[in-house]
Amino acid sequence: MNKLLSYIRHKLSVRVSLWVVLFAAVIFIAALGFFFYQAREAVRQEAYDRATQILDKISLRVEGILNRAEVASNMTQWLVQRHPDQPDSMFVYSRGMLLNNPDFYNCSIAFEPYHFPDKGRYFSAYSKYQADSIRTIQGGSDNYQYFFMDWYLMPALLDRPCWTEPYMDFDAPTNTYEMVTSYCQTIKDKAGKVIGVINTSLSLNWLSQTISTVKPYPNSYSIMLGRGGTYFVHPDTAKITRQTIFTQSLEQPDTAMTALGHAMQRGEEGMKQMKLDGKDCYVFYKPLGQTGCSMAIVCPESDIFGGFDRLRRAVMNIVFFGLLLMLFFFIRIITRELSPLRRLAKEAETIASGQFDAQLPELQRTDEIGQLSHSFADMQQSLVKYIGELKSTTAQKASIERDLHIASGIQMGMLPKSFPTWPDRDDVQIFASLVPAKEVGGDLFDFFFRDERLFFCIGDVSGKGVPASLVMAVTRSVFRSVAARESKPDNIVKIMNQALAEMNENNMFVTLFVGVLELNSGRLLYCNAGHDAPLLIGVGVGELPCSSNIPIGVMPSWDYSLQEARIFTGTTIFLFTDGLTEAMDADKAQFRMERVNDVAAQALTRKQTEPRQLIESMSTAVHAFVGDAEQSDDLTMMAIQYIKKQDDVKLLKTLVLPNDIQEVPRLNDFVQEACLEAGCSDITLQLKLAVEEAVVNVMNYAYPPATPGDVTIEVQATDCRIQFTIIDSGAPFDPTARPEVDTTLSALERPIGGLGIHLVRQIMDEVRYERSGTLNILSLTKNLISPNSP
Amino acid sequence: MKRALYLFIIWMTAVSQASGEDGTIVFTPQWTAQAQFAGYYVAEAKGFYREAGVDVRIEHPSATQPAMSRLRAGECHATTLQLCQALEIVDGDIPLVNILQTSMNNAMVIVSARGKDPLTQRGARVGIWSVGFGQLAICMSNKDHLDYRWVRFAQNVNLFVSGALDATLAMSYNEYYQLLQAGIEITDKNVYRFCDHGYNVQEDGVYMTRQYYEQHRDQARRFAQASRKGWEWAVEHPEEALDIVMQYVNRDRIATNRVLQRLMLADVLRLQVDRESGRREFRLRPDMVQLASRLMHEGQMLSREVTYAELTDNAISE
Repeated sequence: MNKLLSYIRHKLSVRVSLWVVLFAAVIFIAALGFFFYQAREAVRQEAYDRATQILDKISLRVEGILNRAEVASNMTQWLVQRHPDQPDSMFVYSRGMLLNNPDFYNCSIAFEPYHFPDKGRYFSAYSKYQADSIRTIQGGSDNYQYFFMDWYLMPALLDRPCWTEPYMDFDAPTNTYEMVTSYCQTIKDKAGKVIGVINTSLSLNWLSQTISTVKPYPNSYSIMLGRGGTYFVHPDTAKITRQTIFTQSLEQPDTAMTALGHAMQRGEEGMKQMKLDGKDCYVFYKPLGQTGCSMAIVCPESDIFGGFDRLRRAVMNIVFFGLLLMLFFFIRIITRELSPLRRLAKEAETIASGQFDAQLPELQRTDEIGQLSHSFADMQQSLVKYIGELKSTTAQKASIERDLHIASGIQMGMLPKSFPTWPDRDDVQIFASLVPAKEVGGDLFDFFFRDERLFFCIGDVSGKGVPASLVMAVTRSVFRSVAARESKPDNIVKIMNQALAEMNENNMFVTLFVGVLELNSGRLLYCNAGHDAPLLIGVGVGELPCSSNIPIGVMPSWDYSLQEARIFTGTTIFLFTDGLTEAMDADKAQFRMERVNDVAAQALTRKQTEPRQLIESMSTAVHAFVGDAEQSDDLTMMAIQYIKKQDDVKLLKTLVLPNDIQEVPRLNDFVQEACLEAGCSDITLQLKLAVEEAVVNVMNYAYPPATPGDVTIEVQATDCRIQFTIIDSGAPFDPTARPEVDTTLSALERPIGGLGIHLVRQIMDEVRYERSGTLNILSLTKNLISPNSP
Repeated sequence: MKRALYLFIIWMTAVSQASGEDGTIVFTPQWTAQAQFAGYYVAEAKGFYREAGVDVRIEHPSATQPAMSRLRAGECHATTLQLCQALEIVDGDIPLVNILQTSMNNAMVIVSARGKDPLTQRGARVGIWSVGFGQLAICMSNKDHLDYRWVRFAQNVNLFVSGALDATLAMSYNEYYQLLQAGIEITDKNVYRFCDHGYNVQEDGVYMTRQYYEQHRDQARRFAQASRKGWEWAVEHPEEALDIVMQYVNRDRIATNRVLQRLMLADVLRLQVDRESGRREFRLRPDMVQLASRLMHEGQMLSREVTYAELTDNAISE
């Protein structure tokens, strides 16, 4: 089956032919179905008309004879009732009846028991034809007590003349049975009392013979039923008078048969379709006059529709074989018509295998297949041409790719490759990475040392690819040349901006961060031109505050502002381009600043803020986030850690406390220990007081109430001074910005607060506040040697 | 209608009377040939009578001729009678002996036309057999003040089917099925079964005049035993028994069929099983004799109560 289906699927000719034949078959079936239905109805109607005609004819004939018997009986009744007291006349009357109606079977004029006292219990004047003569006798006896017979009882009980159920009358002398029915009517006396019954019998043999011979179809037959359903005519003679139409239903219920029986009993006329002896039959039935009998003609469906069925079979066969023939020829014709297509397909395969110059078949046809062949030839030519062009384009592309690869090498070569690390340098260590999204990128970073200063920059050129890479190269060259003579970052940026803006015809711009780190002091001067603010990772993680300057290359007259920050020893400046925060995973979700901060915080916790470690952690996190998604933008990161230790520093310690004043004793111990180590125990008390004042201030006010936070206290001592630096990440607060307390006023007159910082100022020689990123940094310095001392 | 049959019977009777003298028991069932008498046909056909050393000839009456009239006229020596008929006859001064009782239950029913309950049909025209079955129905009609008007008919159910009667008496094994066969609808509502209303009186038994019996006691006993054997064989072989019945039916050209006869045989055999003991007892029950006798006496159908002893001979009933 699957093979056949597969064959059909692969053969267009078979498929098209099947469709055509299928449609033709559907149309044939619909048309023939309608025709057959109509024809069948016509045949059925004809059968009905035919059966009805026969039934009507027989019924009319029966009625005619019955009427005659009824008329004769009425006349006899009239006579009898005129002379009810003359029993011997009854013989004459009964004999007369037969004389006048030789086709009648017999006639009885029977009386009630002992009606004629001198005649005894029985008196019935009975006449019957015997050969050509009429035999008239007295019919009642002990063995034939007529007054118990149906014919005698019925008219009196029904109180009207009536026909009895047919019965088989046995004639002993001839030993024959005759089927008869009797018309009975009562004889009444003057008082209306029933005194006897006149019985006129008719032989129904002629009727049964007539009905038996009714054969509208070769296998049809007729039946006649009495009131009680008894068969009086039936092809199976064993059933006649012995069985009723309901007999078989006593053992095996047959609803169709029972319904037919009841309909015939009720004297209905009609037709029923049913199964008889396993055959589908039509039964047409009609009552026979007033006898209470009913006649039916049973016609097997095969007879009625025999001719019709033969015709139908012949037509169906013709249609079937016609369709088969049609299918065969269609397949042949379509296969022949499609043969050039097959050759074309073969040639197409040859072409597909790479032989573009294969010779196509020459078709001298102007139909669709010819057109297809011509189109195919055209296509072949176009294909050869296209392939040639493609080859050249591919060669060009390979050349460009080679160039790009070289350009990438050159671009990477521009970037610093050796990164200073401890112990090569003791003041700073640097690491950077640049991963372009394409062969070449628009990100840049650079750094160099000059005059104990570190000059560095990171930037991002708008756009990607070759244009961006060219601008990047220019920007980097300009940075090198400008920074070689200019030390202030804002000036460097300004000059670069002008230089780039002048040659910027393509409206490209560069976000740029330029910083100059004074390596001795940790002072950082910087200028940010629209770049992402770097992170400072030291005691905490925070962003370096950046002014909102526009990127360079856009407005040559823009006045870029200079900013300054202090970088403590151990702090790492983490610079990056938006390729980091905007790195996207497969769902186009961005890495975002929050994750950068988290990675930085984790690195801080693990004390892995060394530049290479930090950048590797960050790269790992970004790659994990991006997964298999394609890199969307250049990714550049640079980390600079300031590690310079002051030469004269003889003490450097750090204490981190929670913002809880219960921790003050620890602070005091820390200060006392520092003083001891710095050799200034003499001023321990004052320093404790000043530091405690400053730290408690931070503990109380830096963070919102009930919010935990840290306070970092760093102590640094040289021979000539001791410095405490208090760092927190709370709300920006500059205690030095408060006005000096007017100590000349009384305590009541002074405003609340401000006394603490006043005290600190009094004790310490220098109090300095700065806000670095998210950190408040308060430095308290006490000179140990008087500036005036030698 | 049965004139021809009547002529045939006359002819048969003439033959039988001639041969009755030679010790042959002429046995007349009380109706035309049918499965009601299957046991006797079996006994004859299977040679049980011959084996028992008794010569039996079965002769049927005509439809309008009571079997008893044949007995009375000496046309036969044994006949089947219903118990009530036997009581009537004994009361009429013809002593009878029951030599074999087959029926243990009453089979009579009343079927009403048009689906009506027979007990609501006061004054209805009810068909009754002209040959004299149906005594219990008359008792019941009187007792329940139904005042049925009895219409005596010869045979078959044509009168009822033609609508001339309001109801008809029927035997559950015979007319009842004929009615069904005529397409009459019978439900629980339009049938009254006497056996379920305190009239469960035995029916068919084989009787002889006491005079004949006294003279042929041994022959009678053997006849009864062979007949009983015939019935027992019919119980064991109902289809073969039916074949035999159909031979008798066909010989007498009785207008019936195998289906009806099969139903009849099954019902007759069912009626032979005593309700209380669940067995085929083949005996007259004194209590039923007493019940029938009392009912008929009360209904003034008997001048006196006939006793069980009057119907039996100890030698047989033991």
